[in-house]
Amino acid sequence: MVKAKRKPIEEIKEAISGYKNILTVGCGGCVSVCLAGGQREVNALNAELKVHLAKDNSDKAISGYTIERQCNEQFIEELKATADQYDCILSMACGAGVQNMAQHFPGIPVHPAVNTVSIGIDKALGMYEEKCRACGHCVLGYTGGICPVTRCSKGLFNGPCGGTNDGNCEISAEVPCAWNDIYLRLKAQNRLEDIMKVHPPMEWQNQTPRTIVQEPYEKRYRA
Amino acid sequence: MESSNILSWTFAYDFIRGPMVWVAFIVFILGTVFQIFKFFSMSRKTEAIQLKAGPGNFIKPLPKDAPPPKTDWLMWLKLSVFGTNPFLMIVTTIFHLLLVLTPLFVLGHNILWDNAFGISMVSLPEGFTDFLTLIVIICALIFLYRRLFLDRVRAITTWADYLFLFLAAAPFITGYLAYHQMLLDYRLVITLHILFGEIMLMAVPFTKFVHMIYLVLVRFTISSEWGLGKGSRTW
Amino acid sequence: MFRKKNTAGVNSEEIRAILDEKKDKMKLSLKACAHCTLCAESCFLFMGRDKDPKYMPSYKFINSVGVLYKSKGNVDKLDLGEIRDIVWERCVLCTRCYCPMGIDIPEMIALARRVCRSQGVFPQYDRE
Repeated sequence: MVKAKRKPIEEIKEAISGYKNILTVGCGGCVSVCLAGGQREVNALNAELKVHLAKDNSDKAISGYTIERQCNEQFIEELKATADQYDCILSMACGAGVQNMAQHFPGIPVHPAVNTVSIGIDKALGMYEEKCRACGHCVLGYTGGICPVTRCSKGLFNGPCGGTNDGNCEISAEVPCAWNDIYLRLKAQNRLEDIMKVHPPMEWQNQTPRTIVQEPYEKRYRA
Repeated sequence: MESSNILSWTFAYDFIRGPMVWVAFIVFILGTVFQIFKFFSMSRKTEAIQLKAGPGNFIKPLPKDAPPPKTDWLMWLKLSVFGTNPFLMIVTTIFHLLLVLTPLFVLGHNILWDNAFGISMVSLPEGFTDFLTLIVIICALIFLYRRLFLDRVRAITTWADYLFLFLAAAPFITGYLAYHQMLLDYRLVITLHILFGEIMLMAVPFTKFVHMIYLVLVRFTISSEWGLGKGSRTW
Repeated sequence: MFRKKNTAGVNSEEIRAILDEKKDKMKLSLKACAHCTLCAESCFLFMGRDKDPKYMPSYKFINSVGVLYKSKGNVDKLDLGEIRDIVWERCVLCTRCYCPMGIDIPEMIALARRVCRSQGVFPQYDRE
């Protein structure tokens, strides 16, 4: 799922400095699972903010509310009745959720409380590793399940550069070379010829916002 | 009217055969209209979104003279609920079709319409409608079997489900018994037949029978993954 | 079944207010459900848990929102805990459930989740 990390408290304080009545909105989706912006984190953030605000003798009011998802209008509906009373919404959802909220509440400034980092996996409790950068041209089958776009420091799509050093990337001895790992994985599965497949460069660089339509629904939206 | 008259059999029959029919149909029609209005007030029209092919849109435009994409209906059927529960879907389709069509084309009913209003539908041969009635009763028995013996159905079954299954089958059971003049006194059975039919009609807008109205309204107008047709409304 | 309820910490009025916002749709969904179980196979969790009836979408919404409605919001933390197990442990709100009547089951599950959240009941993702 999407992985995010809460912003430092100072940055959040700065963002809400000009407002009096703030609503912190959590999201029950991805940010709940990675412990960044769920109901518990909304409560924790509000408690922390209240401590800071008390020290500054501020008269701001901070409320909290969590909806199931901020990326789907259906779940934002329940906020529409009460949102008007707030002059700022602090969204703890991923970037998509923040933008959707801003779109549905165009008159209220929406600030993000988390930084959206990646599509990743749950590596351990509280630890989340980036695995995918949504390039739109998945070649994982031919690279033994290791993403060259994400793991290779240069994002090389078709094989290593000449800088591999003892299985590590030339930028640091602590970063394993993705293509070396790909080679070893494919060799263990006896399909080294896959590494010789050359793929055209992926499209995700310098691109306009991508919209996908699942094939059974294409007919609905043709101009 | 003396109390002995009101409690008499003829009064009961006259009432059920007479004013009660009007009451049942009026309640049914008004209730249905009410539920239709309620649906339109609970739902709203969606804004149509058009997508033009562009650099970021992963949708390729069809050339102007290309034939429209064909739907593989057999595949659609196989992947639909007819594929996952074929037996039940066939039984329920037959049951519901006959539930609605048999009363419309039964000779006995059409004679009554003709006597009352001078109009009627075409009638099927009585032996055939008799057979169709039996089919409905068998389907109802299959539903009863499911309710009693399948764990997954028992898990969400309440007493109301048994009651409504009985109510749906009762006009057909009593109709069959009346036509063959078997088992019980004819006058009793025919009165029960009319009474159950009236209760069933009145129950449609106000109980789970409302799926008769809502299935059509919801499946055909609400845009969803499972919508039939284009679907231009949402909740 | 007739367990004595300790309703401390649960605001029944608040629950009723939330249910009232979706009263018409909720009542219609609970009424129109024909208890046919045709929704079962559309739930991947039902298919993956040996077709346990407790994973049927109809079972889930009847025993979450249905319980809240029938009890008029007079539930205690234990009831909410059971509802939490239904709507978070046994449902991921993937919204793929099918209903021949067209009942919007995900919305009912989302309503139950909303009620739970309003009483401070929500899933914990930080258990290993």
